[in-house]
Amino acid sequence: MDRVSGKAVAANSSALKRFVSKPDFSRLLILAVMLAITAVLQQNFFEIKAIVRNVNAFTPLILLTMGQAVVIISGGLDLSVGTALSLLTCVLTTVMKKADPVTGAYALAAAFAVAMLIAVINGIGIGYLRIPPVIVTFATSFMWLGIALFLRPTPGGETVDWFRAFYNPGSVEGMPAFVKALGAVIPPALILVLIGYALWFVIRRTRTGRYIYAVGSNNESAYESGINTAWVQMRACMINSVFIFLAALFFVGQNQSGDARMGDPLTLRAIAAAVVGGIALTGGRGSVYFALVGALILSFVSKIIFFANIANAYQTFFNGVIVIVAIAGSHGYTLYTRRTKEASKLT
Amino acid sequence: MSVVMSQPLGALYKIYDRYKKLIIALLLIVFLFVLGEVTVSNFLSLGQILLTWKLASFIALFGLCQMSVIASGGSGLDLSVGYTATMTAVFTAAVMDGQNANLWMAVLVALGVGIIVGFLNGVLTAYAKLPPLVVTLAMSNILQGVIDVYTAGRNITGKPSPVLQILAAKSTGIFPHILFVLLIITPIVMIILYRTKWGLMLFGAGSNETTAYLSGVSVKMVRCIAFVISGVLASLVGLLLIGNMGMAFKDMGSNYVMPSIAAAVVGGVSLTGGDGNYLGVILGAVFLQTLTNLLVAAGWGDAGKWLGFGIVLFALLIVYVSNRRGR
Repeated sequence: MDRVSGKAVAANSSALKRFVSKPDFSRLLILAVMLAITAVLQQNFFEIKAIVRNVNAFTPLILLTMGQAVVIISGGLDLSVGTALSLLTCVLTTVMKKADPVTGAYALAAAFAVAMLIAVINGIGIGYLRIPPVIVTFATSFMWLGIALFLRPTPGGETVDWFRAFYNPGSVEGMPAFVKALGAVIPPALILVLIGYALWFVIRRTRTGRYIYAVGSNNESAYESGINTAWVQMRACMINSVFIFLAALFFVGQNQSGDARMGDPLTLRAIAAAVVGGIALTGGRGSVYFALVGALILSFVSKIIFFANIANAYQTFFNGVIVIVAIAGSHGYTLYTRRTKEASKLT
Repeated sequence: MSVVMSQPLGALYKIYDRYKKLIIALLLIVFLFVLGEVTVSNFLSLGQILLTWKLASFIALFGLCQMSVIASGGSGLDLSVGYTATMTAVFTAAVMDGQNANLWMAVLVALGVGIIVGFLNGVLTAYAKLPPLVVTLAMSNILQGVIDVYTAGRNITGKPSPVLQILAAKSTGIFPHILFVLLIITPIVMIILYRTKWGLMLFGAGSNETTAYLSGVSVKMVRCIAFVISGVLASLVGLLLIGNMGMAFKDMGSNYVMPSIAAAVVGGVSLTGGDGNYLGVILGAVFLQTLTNLLVAAGWGDAGKWLGFGIVLFALLIVYVSNRRGR
């Protein structure tokens, strides 16, 4: 770089140039295009009702993607998020009894405990025993599936009335008026996402947040510099579990039932969304906030496919294709930008 | 340790060391049989054991797909085997239409499906360097989607050809024919893996990428071919599956994915690649099938099966794969 002439360039335009050349910019651009296409296809896109419906539809994937992003950044990968989500919905609906509102609180506590247990087991496998993350979470995913099937062989179960507040407070009887009014303006799903954002906002500023990046980008050197890498990776799994827990609250609030199989398709979509959001599968690189962008892009693509009037049977097929294209594309793009960056360093 | 030991014991130790994982798998099976005999009546009859072996042979054949991919290294695993098999079964059902004369066409379809799926998996993992589990999971989605599209709004018609049925479902006396298939395949696989250049290249690519590359082995190509082999084998097992069931249906193969991987791990196939014994995979398959029988007999059904498989796989990963750091 020619530093002398570099100074002369107007700071403003170079900042803009730097921003445009960033991969984040292209992601936002893709998101904007997807949003525009969806807005054209969906006539009432900007009406409050449609926005709420879209937010509701996108929330589980957004939450799972952010959780998955934390694990991937810490150098792991969680193939068990889908079944973990299913298990939590089964736990919630098994503990709750419709007639007794207090059981809702028990259910929350039980589900959170189970979520943490899931994180501990995954964390032991990934962090302490250092088994390849993909394989260990593949194994544990079947443990969660088995337990979920024990609790709920067929979809069903019951919930307390106030649990619907996680989906639509307006429909709960006896809910204070101001909560109802708030729920009408801000959908609870959005609040759950904001809770997730706030959680990561705080953690990112703590030692844990920095360590997660350090461990993910180079486990060995993080270990050599005295970081307890296993404990950091377990904490990443715990953060992931909190996100899964939030997603489970939303799902049960929405459907008032538990289903041992509902989360299966979300596992892969969450991984793909994280990759599209710029999280490198090699770990240590990417932003959890941008995981949201990835989740939104994938969600909008699904929506566009839906609007394109393609038969239902094609949905699974296109989801698989999108995932492969998304992962291959993002991966290739990351490799490409890294190579050009290194090339420009050499010159 | 062997230095201190007397000569014969030292030799014994060497044999133990070499076949440690096989012996462990065998002991696990014996343990399950004893447990089954104690808790369930009539668990150890010859007919029951042969039935277990018959069901296990399908897992073992899928396990061969996994072994081929795992041995080539690159932390490869193939999650799409079950869906490949289903797709072949669904496609060939109509092609065969219960006629032996049409079997060759079905085999061609199976080969085509297997090669295409395996090639795509191989290119995306070996050349594009994407994580195999994610790629093959996405591939499973795509295949499931194709099956959904194919079966949307119509019934899956057609029957397997009688030859396939005789091969996969029938038995002579109480001896199931599918075991002959396994008996023929096993030595062939062993010879290919341990006595041919290809086997050496496969294990070489798995055990040390750099050495293999420097010795002139195209590691990428080997891994890609390993996936193609996995796809073709899975596709052919799909033919056996439809032969066994007598018809094709949408989920017939997907339940074999998890057991096939677990069987490979129980059988001592090293997940980092470069090592593995097919006899171990067969023992692993028998172990898993016995475990399933036991759990079903105990009335725990599907839930118990998946939980049991998950725990077994997790436990064996701890024993075989974990790489704890001493402090």
